Amino acid sequence: MFIDQSMTRDVITVGPEMSIIAAREIMVKNGIRHLPVVAEDDILVGIVTDRDIRTAMPSTVLSEAENAAAAERLAGIKVKDVMTARPVTVSPTQTLEDALLMMEMYKVGAFPVVDQQGRLRGIISVRDLMRAFVNVLGLRTPGVLVGIVVEDKLGQMKKIVDAISELGVSFGSILVARVWEEGKRAVFPYLLTTNIARVRKHLRDKGFTLLDPMEWYLDQVPKK
Amino acid sequence: MKRTGLLYDERFLLHKTGEGHPEMPERLTVIMRAIEEAGLFSKLVPVPVTAAKIKWIEKVHAPKYIHRFEEACMLDLGELGDPDNQICPQSYDTALLAVGGILNTVDMLMEGKIDNAFCAVRPPGHHAEMMDAYGFCFFNNVAIAARYLQLVWNVGRVGIVDFDVHHGNGTQHIFEQDADVFYYSIHEHPSFAYPGTGREFEKGSGPGFGMTLNSTVLPGQGDEEYMHKITRDLLPAFDQFKPEVILVSAGFDAHAADDMSDINLSTEGFSWMMETICRMADKYAGGRLISILEGGYALDVLPELLKNHVEILLGLKEL
Repeated sequence: MFIDQSMTRDVITVGPEMSIIAAREIMVKNGIRHLPVVAEDDILVGIVTDRDIRTAMPSTVLSEAENAAAAERLAGIKVKDVMTARPVTVSPTQTLEDALLMMEMYKVGAFPVVDQQGRLRGIISVRDLMRAFVNVLGLRTPGVLVGIVVEDKLGQMKKIVDAISELGVSFGSILVARVWEEGKRAVFPYLLTTNIARVRKHLRDKGFTLLDPMEWYLDQVPKK
Repeated sequence: MKRTGLLYDERFLLHKTGEGHPEMPERLTVIMRAIEEAGLFSKLVPVPVTAAKIKWIEKVHAPKYIHRFEEACMLDLGELGDPDNQICPQSYDTALLAVGGILNTVDMLMEGKIDNAFCAVRPPGHHAEMMDAYGFCFFNNVAIAARYLQLVWNVGRVGIVDFDVHHGNGTQHIFEQDADVFYYSIHEHPSFAYPGTGREFEKGSGPGFGMTLNSTVLPGQGDEEYMHKITRDLLPAFDQFKPEVILVSAGFDAHAADDMSDINLSTEGFSWMMETICRMADKYAGGRLISILEGGYALDVLPELLKNHVEILLGLKEL
């Protein structure tokens, strides 16, 4: 999936000359933590986060007199003074996987999406990625997740799909955890069926090892 | 003793789901035999069964979906949506009869001809969404009854208690934004069971915020956890909401012997739960309660569970 298909398009932006007090109000009012900073023609010049602004704010441990003085000084501080200039951006034709890996690498929660001319087209945030992930997992369709441990070799997935298809059960999604334990993989089909006990029994009868999360849970319960 | 209505019709058996499907007609035959053998028939008030008018179904389901269901039966397509929802040519008519019978039950209840009722119907309803069949359910029986109570009988506050082991996604979604219908469900935790909804943070939205309440139970748990969560969650919620009528989505698949879930509720646990709900009906709703069958697939325990269920409604069984 391309970023263009999942990004938020109606982005609230600020100008570089806006005071940080006004910028903070915009964040609070809209419940957002990132504001792209744009100059004329929507050209992106920076990004300002609630953290940038909080860092510039007076500490709550200061006295009233000190605070008043600080507030006055604060009114003069502009977005361009605290923003990250030339932030890391992504293009609309990069993919969601790009955004996900970049977020992990740069340890940031959102990227402005800009076109080749440097104009802001949208923003892609952790929230947008989560929405896409929930969609990919099919969690909005009634179903149930089953965990199966298989050997890490070719043809395992086909066996699982065949075994489940024999029961006439549809798949909502399938996830594979590549690293589970040495030489194993964990496969998580999300199955669109009410009668999951039948599926579990069928899989066990066929020799599959099912992941039983309750083993972990029962370990946590104090023994009588 | 209470005047308890009983809704049943042999035509509810005509919805055939095919070999090996757990939602089978035999569920109803074993239940009815148990009620008969316990000598309860003469104590119950029979409710007449007529097909529901489409206009009431349309209060919950989209006309397009209703047509799709009717057409799938006419063309004998075998399933609706996915293979869980097996249908036969009679399924649509059966579903209409179930809803119609339930609406007749509502009328008798509100006219004061009965105090409460049990509806032994098929197909079940609580997974059915506005636009889709899910989990053996086609028309959302309970939801249509709630809408009918609001529209025809001007009931201001309808309380729904759903103790089927699976979350009633359809019912929750239909009333999510409705401040006048309180939906409470206790079910196996959605990370382990169908349909994957009904998490404890789902509380309704808009004007209906706070009018949806879910209690989740982990696999392997039973009576103790049910008593704890119903006492902690449902009792105070209804104490505040004060339902004028209570509808029960009565599923019996949380029983230890039912392999559709990993929950180990006992026969006594079910009795405790139903008595607790009936006491709430007495306290807030003048006893007005309609219990509508949802799931429950263990043919060997259904007879005793349903005999107890009906005895509790009649007021013959006290803890």
